[in-house]
Amino acid sequence: MNRAVSITLWIGTLAGVLLCAAAAAADAMGQPSARGLARLGVLALFATPPLRLAVVTAGFLRAKQRRLALASATVLVVLLATAVRAAL
Amino acid sequence: MTALLLLVLGFNAGLLGALMGLGGGIIVVPALTQLFHVPFRAAVAASLVTIVASSSAASAAYVGRDQVDLRVAVVLELATVTGALVGSSVAGYLPVVVLKLLFATLAFYVATTLWRRRHGASDVMQVGSYEVQRWGTGLGVSGLAGAVSGLLGVGGGAFKVPAMTLAMGLPFKVAAATSNFAIGVTAAVSAYLYYGRGDLDPLLAAPVVIGVFLGARVGTRALQKLPARRLQGGFALLLLFIGARMVWDALRSAA
Repeated sequence: MNRAVSITLWIGTLAGVLLCAAAAAADAMGQPSARGLARLGVLALFATPPLRLAVVTAGFLRAKQRRLALASATVLVVLLATAVRAAL
Repeated sequence: MTALLLLVLGFNAGLLGALMGLGGGIIVVPALTQLFHVPFRAAVAASLVTIVASSSAASAAYVGRDQVDLRVAVVLELATVTGALVGSSVAGYLPVVVLKLLFATLAFYVATTLWRRRHGASDVMQVGSYEVQRWGTGLGVSGLAGAVSGLLGVGGGAFKVPAMTLAMGLPFKVAAATSNFAIGVTAAVSAYLYYGRGDLDPLLAAPVVIGVFLGARVGTRALQKLPARRLQGGFALLLLFIGARMVWDALRSAA
């Protein structure tokens, strides 16, 4: 489970950081695409908390640790509900 | 030049987050408002992105090295999220000055306890090499940390790390890494709301995020080498600073 969580975190973090770096470079060159790139970078980072919880939930389910899976899934649901509420 | 300064600010927040399990909002928010004249809500929104970035970057390394107690993180996060929801819903009914003074009192008490016990801090870093005790206390403090986070807009790491170390028996380094994993989830709840309201300026956040990533990379390596007693002592001093700032804020808003 740890490896899967770590890989998920690396993918989200690197995607976010690279997009933010591209945005900073575009901003320095006065490119209008800078804001869009920065927004994508932030969204990539925002995706990591629910993704890590989804992977942790799946890991606990596979290990038959149902109570921990339920705890993790509950936090995930709260997080997703907040994201939906913010998007509406 | 501004982008470079924001990058340096992010670096420090990332370093602090990786080493201490704190979000770094205590540095980012005042720096953005006072040095860069960013409006308060935009500063808090950028700070929340910083916490998510710091948590993701540091946890990616810590989880891979088996230094995050995922069991403790998930159970405590359940209490923190519940506390944050309660805190957010009663935020309008409680006097903020009193809350800040209570927060400061608790911070001073915890800082003193951590400082006195720093010489006994264990350098153990692997999950499973200890026995988790007093789950009830940990859950209670995490719920409180969540409520304080929802009420005052600060991260819960300042209380979670001491609760895990002093009450639950986790070694300081494991507690810092576990808190690091969890605070990203707590901060995300508020970050989504700030983003949805349009308070976040992505171009302001971008250089801070790059700095956070670099700072977290340095911090995760430094955690392996620094002795736990020094980290715990540093955490206690930082908590004293946070408490003093809360008292200052409370007195200023009361005047």
